Amino acid sequence: MIIRKIQIENYLCYYDTNTFELSDGLNIILGENGEGKTKFFEAVDWIFNGENKQLEMLVSAKKLDETEIGDSFRVRASMTVEQYGEKNIITKSFVAKKERPNECSTSSFMIEGIAENSSGERTQVDGSILLNRVFPFEIRKYSMFKGEAELNIFESDSALANLINLFSEAKHYDKYSEKGAFLREKAEKAVDDSSKSDKKNEAQYKKLETEIMFQEKEKAKYIVHLNSTEEEIKKIEENLQLAESHVNNADALDVLNKRIVGIEERIFSFNGRIDENYTTSLFDEDWILVNFESFHKEFADKVFAHSKKQRKLQSEFDKQKGIKEGAQMAKAELLNNAVPLPIGVPSKAHMEEMLYDKICKVCGTDAPEGSISYEFMMEKLKSYLESQDVEDNEPEKDDQLFKFDYTNRLENLSTSHEDNLKNLRLIRSKIKELFEFNDERKKDIEEFTEQLEKEKTERKQILGNSSIAENKLIDVLKNYNAWQRDLKNKNHDQLDYTSKLDKIEIELQRKKEEKEKIDTKSANSFLIKTRKILRDIETIFIDTKEEKFDEFIVKLQTKSNNFFKIINIDSFTGTIVFTRRKTANQTIVDIDLQEDGRTFHRPNQSLETSKHISILFAISELASEIKEENFPIIFDAPTSSFGENKTAQFLNLIYETKNQKILLIKDFLSTEKATKALSIKKDFENVRRNKAFWVKLERPFDPNNLKTINTEVITL
Amino acid sequence: MARKDEILKSFLRHKLFESNDELKTTDLPSTILEALDCDNLTIKAIAIIVEGLDGTSPVTDSVLRNQVTQFLNEAL
Repeated sequence: MIIRKIQIENYLCYYDTNTFELSDGLNIILGENGEGKTKFFEAVDWIFNGENKQLEMLVSAKKLDETEIGDSFRVRASMTVEQYGEKNIITKSFVAKKERPNECSTSSFMIEGIAENSSGERTQVDGSILLNRVFPFEIRKYSMFKGEAELNIFESDSALANLINLFSEAKHYDKYSEKGAFLREKAEKAVDDSSKSDKKNEAQYKKLETEIMFQEKEKAKYIVHLNSTEEEIKKIEENLQLAESHVNNADALDVLNKRIVGIEERIFSFNGRIDENYTTSLFDEDWILVNFESFHKEFADKVFAHSKKQRKLQSEFDKQKGIKEGAQMAKAELLNNAVPLPIGVPSKAHMEEMLYDKICKVCGTDAPEGSISYEFMMEKLKSYLESQDVEDNEPEKDDQLFKFDYTNRLENLSTSHEDNLKNLRLIRSKIKELFEFNDERKKDIEEFTEQLEKEKTERKQILGNSSIAENKLIDVLKNYNAWQRDLKNKNHDQLDYTSKLDKIEIELQRKKEEKEKIDTKSANSFLIKTRKILRDIETIFIDTKEEKFDEFIVKLQTKSNNFFKIINIDSFTGTIVFTRRKTANQTIVDIDLQEDGRTFHRPNQSLETSKHISILFAISELASEIKEENFPIIFDAPTSSFGENKTAQFLNLIYETKNQKILLIKDFLSTEKATKALSIKKDFENVRRNKAFWVKLERPFDPNNLKTINTEVITL
Repeated sequence: MARKDEILKSFLRHKLFESNDELKTTDLPSTILEALDCDNLTIKAIAIIVEGLDGTSPVTDSVLRNQVTQFLNEAL
């Protein structure tokens, strides 16, 4: 089936009648954003699926503006298709009547069909029936795609079932597996009833049935656990793979952030160490005294001279004092340096008595006047009397040259000044050192600031290279490790469930065999044989259905990869892999991009889009093979992630494929900066196509006034 | 070839028949008519089911069950 012509009349931006005479093969419709591409797509979609609602919203504002109040005009989209040498025209339209300025009422829409045979004979037919005959609804579902997001037809779980119903032989086998199960269950029940009718088996049989039922329940439970664990593993692996693409960046960011914090801390610390309070040293710390050193010297010299004189006098005095003390010592020698008796022994009275009697009553000898003994006693008495009269003798004992030692205080003052001067002299070098220290730290800070800038630039680059925000990138690193732990745990669970299932299966098998033994002994042999045959038949039906299913999947996979390689020629693609997966209720097909068995969980949009387009082309080719007919595919902006070069390459490649294709794209148009005039780039000449159009708004127009909007259709 | 014959042939390609020593691949029927005339009970039962589901007049579940059981009852 080929769409030969599309006419759009007074439909939104398409004022009056606009005709697209299409060709078989590749039709390209170029158009800037907002100039009529999508409205073309929507007009075609309206023919196929449009509802009878809010039709006034579809009316051309320009046409309505030009129409007199009370007058009517037609809004229409029609499609002329060619099939088996016959021409069919399907027209959907309604009448708009202007009621007030900017307002209209509309009739319900109608779909008209005109069938024209090879001899040119035309017949009016039901438009809806004609549309479904030439372009069946289920095929149309795989023919119209708006934007890149819609290309992923496998997003819904029912998509595969639809495809199977459309294009696979597997659809014929569904009912066989159902009927096979039905017949087998009936045969099983007949055997069970027969065995149970033997009373001696009844208890054992019931026990076995209960145990089998329990094991079946356990099995179902663990299958659910295993399935959900496998789902979780898949998700974790997806997350890990996504994280892996960021983990290097995240790791680098982490290191950089730590380095940045380190540098900032050092800058802060160095700033704290810089002390530029030079005025303290200059004014508060005796700087002003630095030039008074000469005065101090004069003072110190005088103190020194004075001290010398004082010491000389003191020395002389000490000498004289020494002579006196020497005499005393000589006297002591006369007593042979023996320790004298204390003063007052013998007592004063005894001493006076002995002197009076002139006898030494201590040693019992005579002591006449003038004898040594008499003189000794006399001296002893004298010493005693002197000891009783201390005050008179004191001045002689504490005899000093200088009562107050001012010289020493002067010397201390001078020394103290000397010490202060030493500190004063250091102020110069201290200030110099402080300047030097501060300069060094400032240089360090400058270096650190420079380093900090470099690190921050590097961080910006990392964040620029990353497709996720900084906080998420930081999370990646945290999550990455957590996910790895989760994966390990889930893998462990998976092993655990698998092993439990194996055990249950063995146990189940054992119980069933036990039950079979009872059946063989007790049940009617005809029933046993019937059950055996029907069990085999069910197995055959299920296996054949799955085989057909797999054949279809393999076919779709092969075809998809053929297109995938063509679209991505000379660039890395990987392989599209379809994997059949059974859930509790249905069979689902997962479609992955793989390289050497490793799945790309998040391929880039361009690769993803080419994958989807390849699958769609594969489906389209399958449709051609199965239905022995080609159907058109209409894409609105399917390659927006491709870039112009890849789009050109893509168009040249799909030009080679069968089927009619209508592609609406915004590439190959350029706007002149000064005049804002649009033109088609020369590169478009190199794009192979069967037909091309350019939809553009008639200039001038007011972007804020729909009444001025009219899309022109230019056939290139 | 009629679809029902295609379906039958698909079933007969199953490994259960490959492992059956009594049956040679060349002996396998290629049409429903041939299969209904076959000595192998499983093949004949399958032919009855295919005829019942994809033949000219499709039958209900209970009719299908009766047909198969009756055939096996007579044959076994």
